[in-house]
Amino acid sequence: MARVIGLRLLGSIGAVLGATILAFVIMRLLPGNPARLILGPLATQHAVNSLSQQIGLGRPIYVQYWRYISDFFQGNWGYSYSDGETVKKLIVERAPATIELALFSFVLAMLSAVALALLATYSHRPITDRIVRGASYIGFGTPPFFLALLLLIFFFKTFHLLPGPEGRLGVQAIPPPEVTGLYTVDALLAGQLHTFWEAVEHLILPSLALGISSWSFLVRLLRANLLEVSREPFITVARGKGLRRWTAFRRHALPNAFLPTLTAGGLVLGEFLAGSVLIERVFNWPGVGSLVFEAIIKQDYAIVQTFILLSAVLFVLVNLIVDLLYAVIDPRVRIPSVATA
Amino acid sequence: MGSGSLAIGAEDVAVLRPPEDGGGPAGAGVAARARRALRTVLADRKLAVPMIVLALMVLFAIFGPIVWDRNPDAQNLLGSLESPSLAHPLGTDQLGRDVLARVADGARISLLVASLVTIAGGLVGGLIGLLAGTIGGASDGVVMRLMDAILAFPPLILAMAVTVGLGVGLDTAAVGVSLVSVPWYARLLRSEALRIRSLPFIEAAHAMGATRGRIIARHVVPHMLPVLFIQMAAAFGYAVLALAALSFVGLGAQVPTPEWGAMITEGSTYSLTGQWWISICPGVALLITVTAVSMLSDRLRDLLDPRGQYARL
Repeated sequence: MARVIGLRLLGSIGAVLGATILAFVIMRLLPGNPARLILGPLATQHAVNSLSQQIGLGRPIYVQYWRYISDFFQGNWGYSYSDGETVKKLIVERAPATIELALFSFVLAMLSAVALALLATYSHRPITDRIVRGASYIGFGTPPFFLALLLLIFFFKTFHLLPGPEGRLGVQAIPPPEVTGLYTVDALLAGQLHTFWEAVEHLILPSLALGISSWSFLVRLLRANLLEVSREPFITVARGKGLRRWTAFRRHALPNAFLPTLTAGGLVLGEFLAGSVLIERVFNWPGVGSLVFEAIIKQDYAIVQTFILLSAVLFVLVNLIVDLLYAVIDPRVRIPSVATA
Repeated sequence: MGSGSLAIGAEDVAVLRPPEDGGGPAGAGVAARARRALRTVLADRKLAVPMIVLALMVLFAIFGPIVWDRNPDAQNLLGSLESPSLAHPLGTDQLGRDVLARVADGARISLLVASLVTIAGGLVGGLIGLLAGTIGGASDGVVMRLMDAILAFPPLILAMAVTVGLGVGLDTAAVGVSLVSVPWYARLLRSEALRIRSLPFIEAAHAMGATRGRIIARHVVPHMLPVLFIQMAAAFGYAVLALAALSFVGLGAQVPTPEWGAMITEGSTYSLTGQWWISICPGVALLITVTAVSMLSDRLRDLLDPRGQYARL
């Protein structure tokens, strides 16, 4: 077990190193002086010179690379030229909004995916199965940013059921006292039920849009797994021992069908990271995604560069955790001969 | 769906089958074979529906701009934001441009660029996978570590990074999306090459004195093609979606290019004031295309790989 963990850890460190080299190469491909690009067109020559010095332009390339990654891992992410703040402060400030949205979206996607996959496989009716599969195809083909618009047109513009693109709370609402930064949790902690509902209302549409591709992926995966597991001999045994069909399904098929969805963890995170850039802006959601969207438009490279590296590190980390969890839960993975077969 | 139709289905995707050695019975049988192929495609609904939808989309891309002969960039500020009518079946946008003409032009752009991206990614990734799987050694290690570095990024975010790094535009967005897709092919085809290499007929060819180059070209490559094509079909759908997403954030196609993603952005502010058609029309075109492609690629995988052993996207 220790060997598996060690190898996997080494692999992850290698992947992060490779990713930083790749990001470094890509960012240095930029035409023009990187210092000028980071500081923006309005910076003085003096500022450009001092930043050039600081990031080691003109020094050997490996020195530049070393500065690049040591700055990144020490949290010196530079300044946003359009905002004047440190990139770190901006990202930390905006992170809770994105985290809350992503968590909500994930829970929504997961619960509905489980429900639909169960519906498709348990009912034995081809028509339900077909509808669920069709929905997952359409969900897969729907770009999140397009779904965001559709949802706003239907639920906000036409039927006035849910709030429009006004961010996390209504215009006049006062945010709950900050504890975690997640408005729903903070509102509950402060006992402000009204604010809680308002935050939830504002979360629904963005999280639907953000979760659509992960949702359709999860539905397909869970459905396929459930079908496969429900044909396994141990289900027959469980039924033969007198368990009712639903009990056998719930106690034996579902947990086993869940296991492979763990591996989708990295994929879901990737969708959320990229998706937040795509959809937060549509809802005026004050998260990291809209920060990056604006930074792209303003060519604020310090922010974009940090976001790209951060996503890679998070992505590798989540994939590592998923793999290790999998090895803990499923002993077959631990035996190398089976794992490679 | 019985096993009989499954076999016919696989036969029917004739392009995906390895070319036969020595030509085979050519000429006379071609028309008959094409007709039979068409019949079997139509008999398989899961294959026929997405194929017909895609064929219609391609026809729309080719003939749309010819039949609906309007300049997609011609502005007419007096006739801006008009709702759909006979003169403008899909209405006009904020600058009075005809939305139908723009969606049709956008179909050309999306399908063409996504095809180029898919071919580029497939060629580069396929070659890398083939070389890593057949030659192996140190080059295998180095190249596959590079692939790991690419896979360390969420795909769309790396594509964004490349576009930011190379300068914004549809061409650099295409480079970014191709780069992201390279490791998918490389990994898949590497393991496929390794698998094929260990099969008995390769050993037989080797025993008969075939050179390594000949074995790779005549025996390994043809057997890798089905996997390559399945992956390309899936990657095509991803390419359409990713290019639109990059254009949506302003990294891909620039104003006034009628790219679907860019059109959705341009129209998004008007969606909530009642002029829904500017964004919805290109969005629906995008949705139809990507959904049809993913259904098609899934069906192809089922037909060509009944055991479901190849990696899924």
